[in-house]
Amino acid sequence: MDMRSLTDPWQEMRRLQGEMEHLFTELTPSWRWPLTGQYPPVNITRSDTGITLEALCPGVARESFDIQVVGDSLTLRGERKPEPDVPEDRYYRRERPMGPFTRTLSVGEALNPDQTEATYANGILRVQLARAPEATPKKIPVKS
Amino acid sequence: MATMTTTTPPTYTQREPGQRETTSPRDLAERGMRNLAPRVDIYEAEKAYVLLADMPGVLPDGLDVVAEHDELIIRGRVERPATTPDYQEFEPANYYRAFTLTEDLDTDGITAKLRDGVLRVEIPKSARMQPKKIQVRME
Repeated sequence: MDMRSLTDPWQEMRRLQGEMEHLFTELTPSWRWPLTGQYPPVNITRSDTGITLEALCPGVARESFDIQVVGDSLTLRGERKPEPDVPEDRYYRRERPMGPFTRTLSVGEALNPDQTEATYANGILRVQLARAPEATPKKIPVKS
Repeated sequence: MATMTTTTPPTYTQREPGQRETTSPRDLAERGMRNLAPRVDIYEAEKAYVLLADMPGVLPDGLDVVAEHDELIIRGRVERPATTPDYQEFEPANYYRAFTLTEDLDTDGITAKLRDGVLRVEIPKSARMQPKKIQVRME
């Protein structure tokens, strides 16, 4: 007999509960994923001319986008709105995350907020960031 | 070169908890990209069932919606980017998910639209499933 279950009668319960939750997330993923923490996920590509940030955020209401650049930081705000006029009890599945989101990222280089451009296509937000003049890399010739 | 700093450590988050990777159908596996099951919402409207699926990065010509027998399959192909990002939280992935339909749906009348990376499929209920107003005769 497993001695652990004698010393801690709740251990088996906790284990079972853990297994059940796992099962439920696998079989019935009809819960809402909150838009907190690291939403939206981003990829960043640097080049000599600037920094490109891509954020994966499908179905965002265009008018809700708010993009701000301060110093070396970028803040993305937006909102995913659910379908209007659909009562809760009409849903069979609700897996898509909904609601407002805010994410601030520091890119580690001074940015020029006046030269920031953003486009939104196919559910991907693409922000083209320009470095501040003092942060623009300069090519240094090597003297022989 | 300056390093990237974020408020939280980098992770691959396109596949979030609860989102599963799907088994690869041959045509998608050949392209060497992962397949993700897109997250969906499904609700019942008066005359149709509506399915919404998050498929960011899919262009209209990379999308397939097929209703065959009792199965509805949604598939999306994503172009592989030319360069690898310097800092990466999501990887390009194709989408694949299959649903079983009941016989009471009108597969001929299915419509699909793609907007801002969200696929919207409407599956009309067959005529006999739609609410019908019954006249009460006075005697």
